[in-house]
Amino acid sequence: MNDDILTFRANLIDLIVEARRDQAVAVLKTVGEIRGLSYAVHEVLEPVLIEIGERWANDKLSLAQGYVAGKVAEDILLKMVKDSPCPERKRKGPVVLGNIEDDYHALGRKMVGIFLAAAGWEVVDLGNDVLPSLFVDKAEELGARIIAVSAMMLTTAENIALVREELNRRGLSGRIQLAVGGAVINYRPELVDSLGGDGTCSNAIQAPALFDILWARSLVFEKEAS
Amino acid sequence: MNSLERVFATVRGEPVDIRAFSLVLSLYGSRLTGCPLSSYFTEPEKYLAGQKAVVDLVDPDILCTPFALPLEAKAFGCTLKHFKNAPPNVIRPACKGLSDLSALLAPDMAHDPGLQYLIESTRLMAREFGSHKIIAAVLTAPVDLPALLVSIAEWIEALLFNSEIRDELLRRTGEHFVSLASALLEAGASYVITPAVFTNPHFLTPQMVREHIFPPLYKAFSLVPGPIVFHHGGSPLGVHLEMFKELPNVIGYVLDYRDSFAEARDIIGDVPVLLGNLSSPHLPALSPEDAYERTKKILVERAADPRFIFCTCGPDVPLSTSPETVKAVGRAVRDFVEEKP
Repeated sequence: MNDDILTFRANLIDLIVEARRDQAVAVLKTVGEIRGLSYAVHEVLEPVLIEIGERWANDKLSLAQGYVAGKVAEDILLKMVKDSPCPERKRKGPVVLGNIEDDYHALGRKMVGIFLAAAGWEVVDLGNDVLPSLFVDKAEELGARIIAVSAMMLTTAENIALVREELNRRGLSGRIQLAVGGAVINYRPELVDSLGGDGTCSNAIQAPALFDILWARSLVFEKEAS
Repeated sequence: MNSLERVFATVRGEPVDIRAFSLVLSLYGSRLTGCPLSSYFTEPEKYLAGQKAVVDLVDPDILCTPFALPLEAKAFGCTLKHFKNAPPNVIRPACKGLSDLSALLAPDMAHDPGLQYLIESTRLMAREFGSHKIIAAVLTAPVDLPALLVSIAEWIEALLFNSEIRDELLRRTGEHFVSLASALLEAGASYVITPAVFTNPHFLTPQMVREHIFPPLYKAFSLVPGPIVFHHGGSPLGVHLEMFKELPNVIGYVLDYRDSFAEARDIIGDVPVLLGNLSSPHLPALSPEDAYERTKKILVERAADPRFIFCTCGPDVPLSTSPETVKAVGRAVRDFVEEKP
């Protein structure tokens, strides 16, 4: 491994942990100027996000530091889009994302959207207070294989089960995977099963890895069904 | 002993007949009386009726005033929505962003319907129960209220990157906290209980908490004319207590279900009361037998601690919890015969 890259990664982690967003973005831009932004994202930012995500999942980092990581990813993603409107890599998705009916806690959902987009996913964000049927309508319309539903409180999380019911009713379970997340699901992981979820992750940074798994599972399901 | 005597004795570290206990059953009263939540959280008489039903069901030593923190945000101009199975919540912040603080209203304690509801509910509860039970007034921490006023993301943005806006928001919410706490204590609350989310290093770094959160919190707490109970706010608190043990007027700390009482006691010393730690969000999934056993296990673990009050932790007990499960918790407390150290 190139020592420079290791140094850039270590430096980037420190800057994110210390909430120095502008300097963190500057590091990535510097790498981008030398080797291209795609390299900066894949070889520096992505490994750093994995490290940050693991620390966050193990309570070694705070929500605020995860937020800074999201902002850095968002900043560099916007720069990539601006500099290279035609993506250099194959896009993944689309996937549908939203807060379940009656839930208005947008932060987690927005952060998931940022990290998915940074990892190359096409995300259709339906916003807050989304009806179960609308999630499924949109996924069908777009051909999405993943619906991701967020809820903060137990009372609203219980509405996620209605998305599963709707998927079952339309015969779409398996082909469309249901990702669930939010504070109450971190608090009570057994809710993933009881609400009918196909998977979860404990923070936004880990969403791309979960979505890779769920997407592959959908493809396998479809292949076996045909 | 009545509840008042039991809790006071616990605060003083004196012997009690049975362990003082409570469950956070603010919302649950509506289930017991069948009251729609849009009435329950706007009409003090309906709230009182719900709390009378709570007393009939499980007779806790401590009763909570309405656990409806967004009512405070409404007084600043936030838009709320009422739900069928949860307290009202903010669906639109008062400001469109950090550059829009001029949109914030100055809370009018004397006329705002939401604040008047909180105060009047407290007054009615104190009149009904104050002679023999503890009334805990639930209040939004001044460091959390900005998250409702401008959204969580914008509040984190201000905390991280905009010190001027951060300080301005904290000034306004600090003043409101002191005013409302004073009004609730004046109305008959025994103490103020404050769930604090943005004090926890789970949300912010310890350095950020020390530098930006602790000073305004200290100032606000010091101006409250009565005791305060500091609630973990949904994240483990125990290992971080070192930072908060100097807060003025705090007589007790509610711990998360993942916290260790023993570790917390080592940090905090002998005097403050520790409360907790049966998890509210887990209750709907517990049978009465499970709830009984979990309660008993916590009581056994804290048997030698004279300044321990058994209670639920996390948010309000969910409506979907069986009344039999709630009753089992109370029964476990009353059945428990402590082994004296």
